Amino acid sequence: MKLAILALKNLTRNRLRSLLTILGVAAGMFLYSAVQTMQHSLSRATESSAADTTLVVYRENRFCPSTSRLPEHYLPTIERIEGVREVIPIQIAVNNCGASLDVITFRGVPAEALQKYNPNIKVVEGSYEDFLARNDAALVGQHFAERRSLSPGDKFEAVGVNVTVAGIISSDSPQDENVAYVHLPFLQQASRIGLGVVTQFNVKVESADQLQRVADQIDETFKSDQQPTNTRPEKAFFAETAKQMIELIGFTRWLGLGAVFAVLGLVANAVLLIVRGRVKETAIFQTLGYSRLAIGTMVVFEGILLGLIGGLLGVFGAMTFFHLKSFTLGNEGLTLALTPSLSVTLTGLGVAVALGLLASLYPAWKATSRPLVQSLNA
Amino acid sequence: MSNLISIKSVTKTFTKGKTTIKPLEDLSLEVPRGEFLSLMGPSGSGKTTLLNLIAGIDTPTSGEIVIDGQDISKLSRAQLTKWRSVHVGYIFQLYHLVPILSAYENIELPLLLGKFSKAERKKKIHAALDLVGLSDRADHRPSELSGGQEQRVAIARAIVHDPELLVADEPTGDLDRESADSILSLLNSLASDHGKTIIMVTHDPKASAAAHRALQLEKGRFTEEGHLLTHQSPS
Repeated sequence: MKLAILALKNLTRNRLRSLLTILGVAAGMFLYSAVQTMQHSLSRATESSAADTTLVVYRENRFCPSTSRLPEHYLPTIERIEGVREVIPIQIAVNNCGASLDVITFRGVPAEALQKYNPNIKVVEGSYEDFLARNDAALVGQHFAERRSLSPGDKFEAVGVNVTVAGIISSDSPQDENVAYVHLPFLQQASRIGLGVVTQFNVKVESADQLQRVADQIDETFKSDQQPTNTRPEKAFFAETAKQMIELIGFTRWLGLGAVFAVLGLVANAVLLIVRGRVKETAIFQTLGYSRLAIGTMVVFEGILLGLIGGLLGVFGAMTFFHLKSFTLGNEGLTLALTPSLSVTLTGLGVAVALGLLASLYPAWKATSRPLVQSLNA
Repeated sequence: MSNLISIKSVTKTFTKGKTTIKPLEDLSLEVPRGEFLSLMGPSGSGKTTLLNLIAGIDTPTSGEIVIDGQDISKLSRAQLTKWRSVHVGYIFQLYHLVPILSAYENIELPLLLGKFSKAERKKKIHAALDLVGLSDRADHRPSELSGGQEQRVAIARAIVHDPELLVADEPTGDLDRESADSILSLLNSLASDHGKTIIMVTHDPKASAAAHRALQLEKGRFTEEGHLLTHQSPS
């Protein structure tokens, strides 16, 4: 413990150098955490789990929501298929069908069916009753509201649709956080699609092991219809439609790796300079009876502290940045919210500490490897 | 009085490029407990090399150095480090205090290696500060002390863990006459009143005169076979 305190005091000896090193580490760890946040958000949006029981029914060969037009009367037919628990027709309207950082998505749903279909939706501001009471009312996802600075009672216009915010919702589904739910007939009319036509059906099945069978049966049912369907799990659709986005985010992994090496080099250089500037003092400690291990530990503590302080700044800086900015990547009507997560934060701090440790091992060895007499005469 | 230090036929050689240098050659010395011994000699005479060998900072090429019954010439680097932490207090010419630590914290450094409680450490540090006359400077950093006061803190750091042997390399070399006299008087008192065995390297005949015994080194050997230059029996 005393060695750690001494290491901390040592860092204050050359404040400017320590500060610059910490800022460099913070910048590197900010970049690393930003990349990890993107990777983590993408994993959450595309990797299926046993808890995923939602299928999405689109028009076959759909490119964008506007190209998927399914008759609303498919609903009772789908509901009758064995294994289907709940079905909801959804009309989608988006401002931008390509990859975009500022995508606005309206989801038109039968108002009275929304909470039954998705009980996990919680109205955190405003009320569900206000949503039911007004035709032009919207329930806005928290990230959407943060991005647009919306509160209950506010009116806003996008994609040619004017709505009034009835409530702000939170949900455990990332997709719900980035959309505005509106009444289905209202959106059908406002977006000039026309009544009776929807973009998709979201289908909840009894259990994950029935997903494939139900999907096959739905597509088989409408195979010969005028509007054939393509049914797949929601995350699988996202993984397919957002291929370019996924490739781009995949590339950022190299940026993260670059940031890691930059931090490693920066801390190693700083600790090496510290050690070189204190050759004689290290020898004095050895003369007093401090072992090579104790002195090496002190050097390693300094490296760890540089990594930890810079890591705290960078990782929490990235967390705050993503929290405040509420970035959402959109593609073909599906959205990917770049949300900070505790696991990314903790991993980032762990990486920062590990880099500090790794970067100071060579300087620590260097500090104690010279013959004592030589160091005393340095 | 028994000998604390017994050096037998010690030779030290090292190579510098293609040249072999022999700073000490077949040197023997005995130092009784409680003696304040001064080593004098011109630059390159081997006095600092001898001091480093006695302090366990360096090892001889051949010969035997027995201190308090233990042959330290046979110890490994790690063993020597541990041995130093218990048996030796080292006083440097330029004090070498850690600038970011207070006088109290500097003196505490050797005690952190032992199994002392915080209260025990505090008691020992205040006793050492009292002994060197700096009780009122415990919280001062080295930059807030005069050269003489810094050397007193360094002496307190050397004695705080109560080693029997103190080695001092030109302890007054960087001080004015008044401060130097005060430090020499303190060292003499540590030997005479507290039973410490002190080996001091100095260029200064006045400093040497403060010791119980002084030996002259030249080219790695004691001149006149280690005859006494001055002698005051340890009391």
